[in-house]
Amino acid sequence: MTEIFIKLKKLNWLFIFLISFLSFVGLVMIYSATYVEESKIFISHIYKVAFGFILMILVSLIDIEFWKKNAYLFYFIGLVLLLWVTFYGYLGKGARRWINFYGFNFQPSEIMKIFLIISLAKFFDEKKFQETRDYFFLILPILIVTIPFLLVLIQPDLGTAMLILFVSIVIFFVSGINWKFFASTGLLTITVTPYLWGGLKEYQKQRILTLFNPESDPLGSGYHIIQSQIAIGSGGTFGKGWTKGTQSHLDFLPEKHTDFIFSMLGEEFGFLGTLSVIGLICLITYIAYHVTSNFIHNNFNRIVGYGIITNFFFASLINMSMVIGILPIVGLPLPLVSYGGSSMLTYFIGFGMILSLDRRAN
Amino acid sequence: MSREVNFEKKIKRRALILGLSKTFFTFLVFGKLFYLQILQKSKYGKLSDTNRIKLKIVYPERGTIFDLYGKPIASNRIDYQLSIFRDKKNLVNDYVKKLEGHINFSEMDLELIKSNLKQQDLSDFITIKRNLSWNELEFFEFMKNKFPFLIITKEKVRNYEDDKIFSHVLGYVGFKKNVTKKKLSNLKFGIAGIEKKLDSKLLGKDGWIKFETDSKGSVKKELNKKYAVPGANIKTNLISEIQNKASIEMRGINGAIVMINCQDGGINCLYSSPSFNNNEFSNGVSLKKWNSLLADDFNPLLNRCIAGLYSPGSTYKLITALYALEYKKFNKNKKFLCSGHVSFGNRKFHCWKKEGHGYLNLHEAIEKSCDCYFYNLAKILEIDDLAKFSSLFSYGQTTGVDIPNELNGIMPDRKWKMNNRGEKWQKGETLNTVIGQGFMLSTPLQITLMTARIATGKKIIPRIVLNKKEFENLNINNENLKFIKSSMFSVVNDSAGTAFNSRLKGYYKMAGKTGTSQVRKISLQEREEGVIKNEELNYKLRDHSLFTCFAPFDNPKYSLSVIAEHMGSGSKVAAPIAKRIMELALNKYL
Repeated sequence: MTEIFIKLKKLNWLFIFLISFLSFVGLVMIYSATYVEESKIFISHIYKVAFGFILMILVSLIDIEFWKKNAYLFYFIGLVLLLWVTFYGYLGKGARRWINFYGFNFQPSEIMKIFLIISLAKFFDEKKFQETRDYFFLILPILIVTIPFLLVLIQPDLGTAMLILFVSIVIFFVSGINWKFFASTGLLTITVTPYLWGGLKEYQKQRILTLFNPESDPLGSGYHIIQSQIAIGSGGTFGKGWTKGTQSHLDFLPEKHTDFIFSMLGEEFGFLGTLSVIGLICLITYIAYHVTSNFIHNNFNRIVGYGIITNFFFASLINMSMVIGILPIVGLPLPLVSYGGSSMLTYFIGFGMILSLDRRAN
Repeated sequence: MSREVNFEKKIKRRALILGLSKTFFTFLVFGKLFYLQILQKSKYGKLSDTNRIKLKIVYPERGTIFDLYGKPIASNRIDYQLSIFRDKKNLVNDYVKKLEGHINFSEMDLELIKSNLKQQDLSDFITIKRNLSWNELEFFEFMKNKFPFLIITKEKVRNYEDDKIFSHVLGYVGFKKNVTKKKLSNLKFGIAGIEKKLDSKLLGKDGWIKFETDSKGSVKKELNKKYAVPGANIKTNLISEIQNKASIEMRGINGAIVMINCQDGGINCLYSSPSFNNNEFSNGVSLKKWNSLLADDFNPLLNRCIAGLYSPGSTYKLITALYALEYKKFNKNKKFLCSGHVSFGNRKFHCWKKEGHGYLNLHEAIEKSCDCYFYNLAKILEIDDLAKFSSLFSYGQTTGVDIPNELNGIMPDRKWKMNNRGEKWQKGETLNTVIGQGFMLSTPLQITLMTARIATGKKIIPRIVLNKKEFENLNINNENLKFIKSSMFSVVNDSAGTAFNSRLKGYYKMAGKTGTSQVRKISLQEREEGVIKNEELNYKLRDHSLFTCFAPFDNPKYSLSVIAEHMGSGSKVAAPIAKRIMELALNKYL
């Protein structure tokens, strides 16, 4: 018991505070988004945050070796869940993403990101660096990435699929794979892209095309981007005030408690609000970086650290880029802020691992 | 070992690259946010306002028009209208299709939608249907969830208490045609009558409401508003009961009834028959209806009181006589023989009484309306002087009444003939003119005004809008006026008078003059064979029946004229109608 207490005391409480604060921002925004029509959502979100927080602390108490030891097992479980969801998943919003688990809807693709990270980390940790020059040995990690990527893509969940791919590339990168590998894979990607494009659903193509000229179709796909930009821009420096956003409360802003929550934040809290949240995310990322930088000689720890924080950071910035019109709208929540249990729990678990790494570093 | 060191360096470098790319990404997002929220704040602020704030023009309530006794004769009613958000106007066709069967869109409504869609307008709403019935309202309230971006608004629109009675004098309201850059496309203007004349006063000033609406097109709340200023109320001299009585008397008769208050010039009655329904016009009359009214032989759109032209006939003899007395020092006791006709040049001029009146003086000539006496009188008169004198009684010129489209009529003289016919004046034409025939044409209002001016000796100006005024004297010898008035008294009250049957039986007495305005020329052959009786003629060729009068005789208050088209002699139709109306006026409104 005292052992646990000592472990708890050793945790990085600043990091925990920052994460809690970001979750708090989420609570504040979700309250504003749903208090009129769907107050149940807010209550449900509180439970999820509390559960996630506890989960994070629990994970932080588990030594990182546990994950290293069981990485492939978890990967296998994740893969089974993904296959299950592909055939028997629960349909929602035109995609088969959810598993109904004793009344809770759960998205395996979210947790799969963590399992993928630890699996890749374990793979690159066990192999000698010299071998990283040998392309044939890379077939296995490429398969580790490609199988879940394709399964998620056909759900279809373009956002998560892209994130999986992106995080994987970063992991390949930080594990020290030769430049030539990236160059040749890039070349390969360009050649297969037309075929991949043909495989995309019409609405997904439309979403990507609209990015380049949202005004061309103000009532169709471009409508969301335009309305989101209007919401953010009209917030100005200080915003319209909490629960006072007109774009969001008069329903001009779509999906305001999930993917577009950042637009609502921009509208109600202005530039100061958006800047603070970016600052918070950067601070969390910086601390996690700092923790990870202790593990130059421990490939597994280092790759897990970079993987998790890259997943968090890019998910955050890609979401923001989407709603401000830098990237196409592919459907990706803002970590810890958007409503949505699977995604949030995954991030909490990830942060739990970072905390565990931090404990190890000290 | 060196490999390890190299690898360590490589790892550090790659971590740095990753960190730098994250920093770069962060700045990209930061930059875009700065652009949106700081640099373009006002643009997006405006866009967010355009999204939610919808401006609706509040049209002003037109001023109410009252009769002399405070009874409203033109007011406003509530009209429920269906409008669509301007930025969703592409939905219109679809909605009209879906609503059809439940809400009746007439061809006119559809045309109006078309023109409204093109209209530049300040309002963020476009009206697509007016005059919703209760059933239509109920249907829409029930189904409105299926029709986002449509709203029901309550407007005040013009309503006339009586459909037909005041149509000519009040006029009606409607959309102005051919107005480019109309900013208030739903605003109706006065098109005719008082509505047109006093449009600027009646109109009022428009206001607006700013609504907050959501993306689904429902109105959430009113943000702020500027109240519309209602138009000024107008009090008129019209008396509803008399106007109503006039309309009843004129049922089945084409013509006009005008009554003027001799003391203040107020027009108490101005009724033209047949009439039209001005409510129908104000709500928007269909092209079919409009064309049928235009094609109507009896021309119901013509306001006969001010724009119907009639020969004044014998009623004009009063002016001839007055002129002779005033300017020719004519001896009123001078007698002429009426043998049924007077020869002048190589023409014979006939009296209406074929067998003649025998010897009579001026008083008797007026009383019996002898034409021959006036033919003789004409021989000593100069047409240009008579025309000039007649203008004192507004013949040949507008009376200055306060409604638009009044006609001058014709008071012929030498210059007029030369200008209009290109011929010199023939003395024989003077003979026709002195009995109000020939070229001469006048409006019922002019005839009534003549009577009022004779009755008072004052230069009365007729007014529909209440406005107490003193009038200057005509500068006519009082004795001469008295003589004319006493002759008019005899017309009605002497058993030999042409309107004896229409005398008032009560305390107050009426004085007047009959007239029969000839529409055709009677040929020589017909004279010899016997003039065809009026009843036997084609309707269009029958004589007009005229009567003008004033009462009470001692202290004239009302002057009244009745013109009944193609109804024969003045004594038969016009005088009895005048009598009944005068009775009502004297009994209730003296």
